[in-house]
Amino acid sequence: MKYQNGRVAAILLATTIAGQAMAQEQTVTVVLSEELDVVEPCMASRSNIGRVVLQNIAETVTEIVPGSGLQPRLATSWEDMGGGTWRFTLREGVTFHDGSSFTAEDVAHSIARTTGDQIVCEIGAKFFGGIAITTDIVDEHTIDITADPAQPILPLLMSTMTVVPAETPMDSFVETPVGTGPYTFDEYNVGQNITLSHYENYWGDMPEVLSATYLFRSDSAVRSAMVATGEADIAPNIAVQDATDPATDYAYPNSETVYLRVDHEIAPLNDVRVREALNLAVDRQAFVGTVLADGTLLATGMTPPSTLGYNAELEPYGYDPDRARELLQEAAADGVAVDSSITLIGRTGNFGNVLETMEALLQMFQDVGFNMELKMFEVAEWENSYSRPFAEDRGPTLVAAQHDNANGDPVFSMYFKYASDGLQSGIQDPQLDDMIAAATAATGEEREQLWSDTFAYIHDEIVGDVMLFHMVGFSRVNPRLAFEPTIKTNSELQLAQISFN
Amino acid sequence: MKSFLGKRAIASAISLIGLIVLVFFLSRLTGDPTALYLPVDASLESREQFRELHGLNDPLIVQFGTYVSDLVRFDFGDSIRRSEPALDAVLRAFAWTLQLALITMSLVIVTAVIVGSLAAFHVGGVFDRITTFFSLVGASAPDFWIAIVAIVLFSVNLGWVPTSGTGTLWHWILPVAVLFIRPFGLILQVVRGSMISVLGSAYVKTARAKGVRNRPIIFVHGLRNAMLPVITVIGDQAAALLNGAVVVETIFGFPGVGKLMIDSILQRDFSVVLAAIFVTAVAIFVMNILIDILYAVLDPRIRY
Repeated sequence: MKYQNGRVAAILLATTIAGQAMAQEQTVTVVLSEELDVVEPCMASRSNIGRVVLQNIAETVTEIVPGSGLQPRLATSWEDMGGGTWRFTLREGVTFHDGSSFTAEDVAHSIARTTGDQIVCEIGAKFFGGIAITTDIVDEHTIDITADPAQPILPLLMSTMTVVPAETPMDSFVETPVGTGPYTFDEYNVGQNITLSHYENYWGDMPEVLSATYLFRSDSAVRSAMVATGEADIAPNIAVQDATDPATDYAYPNSETVYLRVDHEIAPLNDVRVREALNLAVDRQAFVGTVLADGTLLATGMTPPSTLGYNAELEPYGYDPDRARELLQEAAADGVAVDSSITLIGRTGNFGNVLETMEALLQMFQDVGFNMELKMFEVAEWENSYSRPFAEDRGPTLVAAQHDNANGDPVFSMYFKYASDGLQSGIQDPQLDDMIAAATAATGEEREQLWSDTFAYIHDEIVGDVMLFHMVGFSRVNPRLAFEPTIKTNSELQLAQISFN
Repeated sequence: MKSFLGKRAIASAISLIGLIVLVFFLSRLTGDPTALYLPVDASLESREQFRELHGLNDPLIVQFGTYVSDLVRFDFGDSIRRSEPALDAVLRAFAWTLQLALITMSLVIVTAVIVGSLAAFHVGGVFDRITTFFSLVGASAPDFWIAIVAIVLFSVNLGWVPTSGTGTLWHWILPVAVLFIRPFGLILQVVRGSMISVLGSAYVKTARAKGVRNRPIIFVHGLRNAMLPVITVIGDQAAALLNGAVVVETIFGFPGVGKLMIDSILQRDFSVVLAAIFVTAVAIFVMNILIDILYAVLDPRIRY
């Protein structure tokens, strides 16, 4: 009998140990570059918050899937009802982590909270500025959402809208986020870690990753060392100089586009020949693999190649300093003040090697005859130059900026960057305004074509800006994981998409 | 002594008030936090709403009045970045910094005093030369470089200790070791110099002539008299650690007050900056008073 008891105890011990080992094997540790200030779902458009919260804890109404476009998430289908109203049919059988059922009331509350004025949510500020959104609950799982002015891409905008329960306070951020996602928020040891674990009643498939721990380390070398030692499994954002191991390090387009915003209102930049000369003066290829990482793409438009309407037929301006000089001489002969002092404005810390990039650009512009000086500003001062209202006495300026669009549609970029009253637009062109309005209103293939035409118009006809690069990011991934970063890794990290080798 | 402590407390309070006023206005000169907290695409309405919510639209003097009236109730305001009381964030971080400083300085004082005293006993000997060389290297090596090299060597290549973090006792080894090096080198040199001077004095020669053994000469007669300049340097080094070991905290992921302060300055989280400066300033004032008391304990000739 004693012997039998011993065997039972041994089996129990063995299964317990095996169970623990399996649980540990199905745990993932992610090391992020920055600690989360808040864990609020309506702030999930910030990359480090998004990598924890977005689609892991809180899900969105719809979802952009790289390669597949707009897909259902908490909404299963949607229909244009006209007059700016879209009807969304919501998924049934979904519950929040607190056990409550997911209904249209939760969507209405989340929209009101995110776009309301009691708290400033980044998702509201970034994607819904200037748009009045109202909701009408048709039944428990159907909701009409109306945008004023009408938004043909409202379903796309809903891919940014994180849904929280209707009981979530309107006037304060949550400290323990509750959502419908595959993982529950377990604990936040401020300054140390965040832990999530699998939500057993999740409506979707059972993920392989059962729990996750997020750590925070500012130093890229430390983050990559942590994956190398096995202390972490994924470091989503490491510096190019730390991405030295081809077996674990991935380069991926990070959805950021670097460009020089040209101020068309002030001479000599209001002359198309001068703008073309600016473009021809830059040896873009010389930056790739030197100052910037290998794999960096030369840009012809504001959004990366994975975006709808990307115009693959456009050729980046080649490096032709002689032609640039000729264009400047032609403009000068017509009375254009090409020798005016132009200010090139950069932003400190905007991306890796930004200072080296800016100095090289300055040298290239000066080589062809531009009278230019470089000023590097910190973000607030830089934004005074980048965003409207612009200073009256600013003089001719080129502002270097890095723009992120991982949402798959140019509308998130083009109005702000190119419409006459766009917040960061240096262009006043009624034809371009019409093209943006038409592309924004269109759907399907027509939309794709109109955006493509708009990119061509800006790049070839009016020579809008000096487009430079589509940037790449680097991630280190532990070989025990079957996970390859994508353009979305810049803003989210869906644990449910990770499996084990 | 009581009147001395009272005077020091009053002087410290006046300095603290001056510091708070200065930091309040200087921090506001760095600009509007709105640009840092909202995306560049945020509408003008959103920006206005943010400023209104955080009282940034009020004239500076009104903001200061509100701040002072809250401060009287020991309310430092809320962190914009973290949406929690600024003082809570600071005290949580300060607890980490205090632990790190206490452990490091305890080790530094014990080892630097012993090694420095022994080096001074045989000036120019092998032990003296070795300790002088390594202490000078330690005192002059940049800690960010030592930290990264230590991680690569001891964590990545040898696998002896974790790279970073705070989970176990093992996690403390590298940060404490890296923090240890510079104050150890400095204090060791001060101990050595002070001991050389003391060991050459007449009363030590007399003790030797009377046949007193080396150990009591070094650690009883010599050390106590050599400690006054050493304590001054220890106080200086401890104050630097209480301000936060920014580089070590950043590299090793230690959630201390130094990193919090730098992050808050960069993010223009004014409430946290002011709370952090207040807490560390109070800690340094208290430490300076303790050092003054220690002077009197070690040297009976000093009376306040």
